[in-house]
Amino acid sequence: MPITCEFEYHKPKSLLEALEVLARDGKNASVLAGGTDLLVWMKEGVRAPSAVVDVKGIGELHRLEIVDGALLAGACVTFTELLESAAVRDSLPLLWECSRTVASVGVRNRATLVGNICSAVPCLDSASALLAYEASVLVEGPVSRQIPVTQWFLGARETAIRAGELVTGLRIPLPDRKSGTCYVKLGRYRGEDLAQVGVGILALEGREYRIAFCAVAPAPARAARIERLLHGHDLSAELIRQAQQLVSEEIHPITDIRASREYRLHMAKIMLGRGLRAAVERLAGGGPALGESVI
Amino acid sequence: MTELEPLVDAAPATKVVGHSVQRIDGWEKITGAARYADDLEFGPGLLHACIVESPHGHARILRIDTSAAEKAPGVVRVVTGQDFPYRFGLYMQDRHIFAQDRVRFVGEQVAAVIACDAKTAARAAALVRVEYEPLPIVLDPVQAIEPDAALLHPELGTYPHVPWFFPRPQTNIAHWRKIRKGSIEEGFREADVILEDTYRVPRYAHCAIEPHSMTGLFDAAGRLTVWAASQSPFTQRNLFVQALGPLGLSHKDVRVIAPCVGGGFGGKAGVSCEIMAAALATAVQGQPVKVMWSRAQEFYNTYQRQGVVARVKLGVKRDGSITGLEHTLYWDAGAYVEYGANVVNAVGLSATGPYRIDNVSIDSICVYTNLPPGGPYRGFGYSEFFFGLESHMTRAAQAIQMDPVEFRRKNCIREGDTLAYGAEMNPNGLREAIDRTAAAIGWGTRETSADARKAIGKSLVLFWKAPAMPPNAASSAFLKFNEDASLNILISGMEIGQGLLTVMAQIASEILTVPVSKIRVETPDTDRNPYEWQTVASHVTWGCGNAVKNAAMDAREQIFALVERACGIARESLYLKDEKVRSRFRAGWELPLRDFAISGIQAPDHTFKGGPIMGRGMFMPEFSSAVSDPETGQGGHPNVHYTTGAGGIVLEIDRETGKTTVLKAALAVDVGKAINPDLIKGQIAGGLLQGLATALYEDMRFDENGRLLNANFADYKIPTALDIPGEVIPIIIETPQPDGPFGARGMGEHTMIPAAAMVANAIQDAVGVRLHSMPLTAEKIALA
Amino acid sequence: MNRLAIGFRLNGVAREVEVEPGDTLLEMLRDRLGIKSPKTGCDRGDCGACTVFLDGRTVRSCLVLAAEADGCDVVTLEGIAQIPGPLLRELAGHNSFQCGFCAPGVVLSALELLLAKPHPTRLEIQEAIAGNLCRCTGYTSIIEGIKAACGADAARDEAGPGGPAQTWGSALPIIEAACGADARTPPQPNSKGARP
Repeated sequence: MPITCEFEYHKPKSLLEALEVLARDGKNASVLAGGTDLLVWMKEGVRAPSAVVDVKGIGELHRLEIVDGALLAGACVTFTELLESAAVRDSLPLLWECSRTVASVGVRNRATLVGNICSAVPCLDSASALLAYEASVLVEGPVSRQIPVTQWFLGARETAIRAGELVTGLRIPLPDRKSGTCYVKLGRYRGEDLAQVGVGILALEGREYRIAFCAVAPAPARAARIERLLHGHDLSAELIRQAQQLVSEEIHPITDIRASREYRLHMAKIMLGRGLRAAVERLAGGGPALGESVI
Repeated sequence: MTELEPLVDAAPATKVVGHSVQRIDGWEKITGAARYADDLEFGPGLLHACIVESPHGHARILRIDTSAAEKAPGVVRVVTGQDFPYRFGLYMQDRHIFAQDRVRFVGEQVAAVIACDAKTAARAAALVRVEYEPLPIVLDPVQAIEPDAALLHPELGTYPHVPWFFPRPQTNIAHWRKIRKGSIEEGFREADVILEDTYRVPRYAHCAIEPHSMTGLFDAAGRLTVWAASQSPFTQRNLFVQALGPLGLSHKDVRVIAPCVGGGFGGKAGVSCEIMAAALATAVQGQPVKVMWSRAQEFYNTYQRQGVVARVKLGVKRDGSITGLEHTLYWDAGAYVEYGANVVNAVGLSATGPYRIDNVSIDSICVYTNLPPGGPYRGFGYSEFFFGLESHMTRAAQAIQMDPVEFRRKNCIREGDTLAYGAEMNPNGLREAIDRTAAAIGWGTRETSADARKAIGKSLVLFWKAPAMPPNAASSAFLKFNEDASLNILISGMEIGQGLLTVMAQIASEILTVPVSKIRVETPDTDRNPYEWQTVASHVTWGCGNAVKNAAMDAREQIFALVERACGIARESLYLKDEKVRSRFRAGWELPLRDFAISGIQAPDHTFKGGPIMGRGMFMPEFSSAVSDPETGQGGHPNVHYTTGAGGIVLEIDRETGKTTVLKAALAVDVGKAINPDLIKGQIAGGLLQGLATALYEDMRFDENGRLLNANFADYKIPTALDIPGEVIPIIIETPQPDGPFGARGMGEHTMIPAAAMVANAIQDAVGVRLHSMPLTAEKIALA
Repeated sequence: MNRLAIGFRLNGVAREVEVEPGDTLLEMLRDRLGIKSPKTGCDRGDCGACTVFLDGRTVRSCLVLAAEADGCDVVTLEGIAQIPGPLLRELAGHNSFQCGFCAPGVVLSALELLLAKPHPTRLEIQEAIAGNLCRCTGYTSIIEGIKAACGADAARDEAGPGGPAQTWGSALPIIEAACGADARTPPQPNSKGARP
């Protein structure tokens, strides 16, 4: 289906130029980085912007580097670039594992991490890692803001961004201790799929656990109750069972054409259990190979 | 006497047929040179059409206001059903080009905007205003035949149809095929155990990667040409003439050209959306107009595989013999059944499966519903009914504590057995298929998974299918030599990926000794290429192959007659080898084909005898007839022959998650003669995966208004390269088909047919869960 | 309606085209430039039939605006096929494709893999082409064809010197012809960012 809405295409050479266009057009402007969500929405008539701002010409948005113990990923960094980065794989393996499950090679070559969190569809894959690592969203606009990712997702396709603002990147602090991670994604088969349930687990040395679910609520979120239950303890079979029982309090999945509420709850418990075990095994230096699914 | 070559007819081994030669269309596809319908260029004057579709599943059309659309700049013409009040249909004329007084499914075409480019057409189509009065909807075939159900086709009694259909006017039953053989009451009385249950199979989508694309031109001289991604150029031409009859078109003035086709699976057979290009072309005479279906339209406004609710009742004795089968199938056939009703018919004739059963009662009922039209999909109803039947056969064996494979060995049909409708079963290698498939999956050996959370299950099921065609479905071929003795073969069988062009070249090559690399097989142009009914039903290897073989033999006859006349050598002594004519009576003598295939043979007096060699071949199954007793289905020979086989599977299930991994899938099919083994293996790998997908994750979801909710690949999942079985084991059986070219019979559809039942039985074997409805998803297994 | 003038290299040849903002790269290639190998299969990025190389990476051209190709290198199967190498030959020899509609996308995805990894595992091959949907073949024959091409490349890699030829293998002349001198360096992202 062709794009039938009419719009102006801008390719600013600087951040300032980009912000000028956004300030002028406000909510009628759409930012274009990878385009793998935006173009689908424009073709299906879900979005009809009057201006499209292609930010790939802004050099600083392509940065991907570790500065002061945190990974700075610019708005134009693609999932393929994350996957090809040894630094990401070694220091932020949960983000690496999430990235691997996104779509397919040809889509990952364009789709950006920042684009993923700006689209903010409930089933997005990257949120689990960003929540577990306690990242912050870097925003430029009338004022510069750094928004903790826990305050970024407000609901289905709703974020804390304001009119005239541009997300320039993400700041993801590297864990200060050894860690083991696991991202578990429920799809309908092995090929690319949108998550019906996603859970990301970060097991830190010292018995601290960070757990984030996606696709089971309008917005992705940390599982605070489960984290509190596990905090400070070794993971026995009994403790994991108790954690699984808390799942139905932490998540609120719906029934849709992809999966039923019952199956999502059923799987979320299994995924939590297997994910915790894998994360702890990896913390100890073993466990399944990174990228291997535990379900 | 020097050593002489044997008579060519006595040579046992074939040199080309039976070998996995490289596809003759392979290089053009791999280099991107192949041209598909959407690739064709028509110059700057090409117009584009956008269709206005019904948002309602069932509604009366009160008013259509096209004024705003007509005024939009760049719009050439806007048409509605008023411009095309004509009906058409392949087996029954129940379908309009555009909806007339009412719409019967969400997505049905109501109007069309023709404009100078696609975007203008799309924008203007949004300006067409249609007022509807919603009517009650029926979505379930069993409910649709209740007395108080809304009547979808009040004029059913007036629709012309083929003589083997039995519609029930004033109901939603478009066709009711009955089979009564023996006495079912007697059969059940004899039984020790009677097992009865109901199985549900939903709708499925073909999902060929190429969407439908068609362009029509009705030129100023009144000649209509349609370029279409098509499996059926001649049948489409015929239906265009039928549908646009009031315009006074003769067949000679309608031309259908089909370039390379990007997958069909039945979806590009018959006429679904192709009629748009033909009709709209007549609305803008002199200008070509293109209609390209979007992927969403591919899902909701082309033929779909029909859903079915099937009740199976089987009587068996403790010794394992089947005493009776009662099979009742309610088909969700959609809003128009002009093609789909024959799916129902075909199943009615064959719903015993490949078993020897004396007492049979089959009711195959085609029911109108407010859903997209059902139509031909790989398997033509057999993929649909085998889920229930083969699930049931395994359960029946278990009920009498008999090994399910042994049960099948005991009851499987043999050559000469009487079929459900009274005719005789053809030669077949079904027993061999069972034995070799059982061996391939290690039947009889229980396997345990290395992972304690997982269970391994196995199953083996049977399948068969006959081409479902009218009794006069003919094929024909022209064959012409070129100066260098290369060949052009003109057929109208379509290359839809199965490798037809290559196989036809192999047949001609075998007879004329011209290498395959020197043979071109042309895709259809109904002006130039001779008639082929359709490329469906897995019949073109057999039907078109026979026509090509006849054409090659015709050419060979001409060659030998000419050589006898011009060279004075006895015709009986002549044979062909390495593109040369030789004689058993004259050692050392040879005449290269290139010396005379165009120019004739020069005589001593410097005149030339003969001329261009052109072969003509035609094949019509003159023994086939479709007329039978309406109440019993007995009589006639509606199915030319059956291709049989067996499928076996080893799968592993995670007990907690329900996720299924196919470790091994084996399929044995009796092809009579494997003309190109590579291509057969390709059909096995492709068809099995397509079938496994319908079993495991493909899932069409409609809402209560009949709207398809997942009309895209994001939510209707078809297999990726990551979803293939661990191992696919193709098994080729060759029990010759006496009337097939070199003994061949078709198999393109068959490889999909057993998949769903294979999975269902293996799931039960692994985790003890018996699922009665498809798809057999991880969710259903986990929550069972 | 505003129009944009863009300049880019198509299969090694400099081109200039006027496009509308809403034109996709796929539409521009097919409708304006006669490049027919990328296909419209779904127009949503789900099927991979529209795959082309954009600055050395495979992309879904139906999800790229034509305007985004300004200043870029676009390579399609038409460019690759000018100097057919082991990959195309093995795919043909193995009868890897049936209807052929998915072939252009698959070939490019496979080529992208082989350029980065001359000897991939079977799983890596499956992942590389997982975004290219094929309904006909069941993928087995395609995977076998790609695997056979690895073997063919291996022999040539051993004979060659180190450096770019090691990375690009026997595809170097193909890419050179299609992309020009830039082919000497392995694919990089849009060159304005630094990488850790």
